[in-house]
Amino acid sequence: MRWYWIVLLILPPLAASFLLPPFGQRLVTLVGIYALMGVGYQRVFGQLGALNLAQGALFGVGAYAVALGAPTLGSFAFAAAALAAIVVAAIAAVPILRLQSHYFALATLALASLVNLVAIHAESLTGGANGTVGFGASLPRGVPLLLGVWLCLVAVVLAQAYYFAGRRGEAARLIREAPLVAATLGIDVPRWRFAAFVLSAAAAGLAGGGAAAVSGVVSPDVTGFPIMLLCLTSVVLGGARHPMGAVVGAAIAVCLPELFRELNGAWLLAYALATLAVVLFAPQGIAGLIDPAPAPLPPRMPDRLMPSTSGRHLVLRDVSKSFGGVEALSGVSFAVARGEIVGLIGPNGSGKTTVLNVISGLERADGGTIELDGRPLERLPPHVIARRGILRTFQTPLPGESRLAGIARAVASGATFLLFDEPLAGANAAEQAELVALLGHLRTAGYGVLIVDHDTELLSKICDRMIALDRGRVVA
Amino acid sequence: MAYALVALGFVLALNASGAVNFAHGGLVVLGGAVAVLADLWTGLPGPLLLPLVMLLLGVAGIVTARVAIVPLLRRPPEATFVATIALAAIIEQSLLLAMGNAPRTAPPLAGSGATEIAGLSVGRQPLAIVIVGAPLIAAVWFLLERTQVGRRMRAVASDRYAARASGIPVDRYIVLSLALAGALAGVAGQLLGHQFLVVPTEGGGHMLRAYIAVALGGWGSIPGALLGALGIGVFETLVSSWLGDAWASAALYVAVLAVLSLRPQGLFGEPVGRRA
Repeated sequence: MRWYWIVLLILPPLAASFLLPPFGQRLVTLVGIYALMGVGYQRVFGQLGALNLAQGALFGVGAYAVALGAPTLGSFAFAAAALAAIVVAAIAAVPILRLQSHYFALATLALASLVNLVAIHAESLTGGANGTVGFGASLPRGVPLLLGVWLCLVAVVLAQAYYFAGRRGEAARLIREAPLVAATLGIDVPRWRFAAFVLSAAAAGLAGGGAAAVSGVVSPDVTGFPIMLLCLTSVVLGGARHPMGAVVGAAIAVCLPELFRELNGAWLLAYALATLAVVLFAPQGIAGLIDPAPAPLPPRMPDRLMPSTSGRHLVLRDVSKSFGGVEALSGVSFAVARGEIVGLIGPNGSGKTTVLNVISGLERADGGTIELDGRPLERLPPHVIARRGILRTFQTPLPGESRLAGIARAVASGATFLLFDEPLAGANAAEQAELVALLGHLRTAGYGVLIVDHDTELLSKICDRMIALDRGRVVA
Repeated sequence: MAYALVALGFVLALNASGAVNFAHGGLVVLGGAVAVLADLWTGLPGPLLLPLVMLLLGVAGIVTARVAIVPLLRRPPEATFVATIALAAIIEQSLLLAMGNAPRTAPPLAGSGATEIAGLSVGRQPLAIVIVGAPLIAAVWFLLERTQVGRRMRAVASDRYAARASGIPVDRYIVLSLALAGALAGVAGQLLGHQFLVVPTEGGGHMLRAYIAVALGGWGSIPGALLGALGIGVFETLVSSWLGDAWASAALYVAVLAVLSLRPQGLFGEPVGRRA
């Protein structure tokens, strides 16, 4: 992270503590609170690209936890706030996290609406529409609260910037842009999602607790959609993936209404317009405009190949798979050993890609066994299979990458068995030559390779052995 | 029936753009608000205002498409989500500034009271809603299934790239779909606006119901969305007579989470397979 960002992160709380009147300190505290919620949100929305619409509700959960816990727990109520949000998120994660983009957004929206309804109608717990008051006396306020909030914020921002700086940033990019590719490279996508969701909830809960301490009142409004909207728009406005995006966005969100006080509600209108403009013209956000993120490095072939050590034989026995009555594979058996390059040929629809999907765990075989050195693979999730040393590539490269990038990624991972899905389709002569040379190196280094293609002539030149597939059966 | 119109417009926009239009609820409320204002200015009876509301909201749909959907087609769907959420906030805030927070009533389609049909007493207003809504839904079905324009709209919905490759001006058909979605939202807005009042902040609620209807009915399936909307209506009526309005909504959200956790692809499945 650049030095001026760090100055910008440390200066406001210090300056506010010594120089500003209580009103200014309150504003800076609020900036810290919304930034904290936003930084958590960046993990799920920015890094993993999932539109979580429950962050505002989790903020509210934290606020209520502080309101209810402060009389007995004192300052420890903040820990209770983070914990309460974590618990709600972890329970909700079970049904929610498996869902893909639009279902995920819907499920989080339903969760948020549910929390809001409970806040309004469970009067014995939450005080109903009037809210809860009178807990503020047992909590820190003023400068101690300001410093506490900003301390948390600085820690989270720095930790997150450090965490996503290297390989893990690349892993997050893959999960965001191509979750299947990520899984077949050995990235445990469900675990990433769970961790991001729960940690982001903790930040939201803590922020909500802070907000309760600032205002001294908690009403159902803290769980409402406007808070969610504020969080989402400020993160987008500031920059969803920039380490400082949430802080910049929160500063704008808090200061804008103060600047345009005479305009009343119109500041929200201006804010929404600004967000729309940023989405359209500057998707990297304001912080990203000032300090653009470096373009991701294209994956490069490793300079030398590690002689691979694990795994000797990949064996398929009697594997079958059908899709709604259509038999894609029936009784497919073959083996690939290390140091061997095997070609898998066959006409369109003969089941070549299905073979790769079944081996790599993207599809589950209906029958038969797949073993690596006698250990069954057919029931394992894709990332575990990848970690056992079996990696596949896809026909289509990721946007902005070359045809060989996926292959480079697979080779660089150090897997023993590589499954290439039509690596030559549409390749030019130079790329073909590069691939043929690579295959030679792979053979010498003791890798096992399975190549799927239609080009029998080319495959017969580079492969040690060929398997022909027709209508789901091995015919030669 | 009015929910069905909301869901129908939502699913049209969804199919056309491949992304959720979070501003749809805003368009519904805008429809109600336009009906209220048009009533104030012109004093025309409700049925005559309906075409005017449809026209103006069709234009609003076009603006939505041009501003928040077409420019973002090449970006991940989340970009459209955020853009339309911002648009929804813009509509809501503008209406709050223009109308204030007080709920208004949209003009009715028919006088109050009841009519006897075959010995059954039927309220005139619900009857008018069915008389307006059913032909509209039938018309949309006819347009999509039986005309060249509709075939092209469906082509754009099912595969934008293939449609472009076949020479269909994709952007124009997306705008057309959104215009239609906007007009439907306008009708729904006027109908709901009489039944339940026009409240600027209700947009999110309309949007959420349509979203649920579409998710449960099978993503992108029009009959599924209509069934889903009717199902939500029946569910809410039944449960609210038992537990009260608030807990009926809560039960609906719990039911949605339960359904999604058991069948992540919706009750009736998703027509499109996942692609590697």
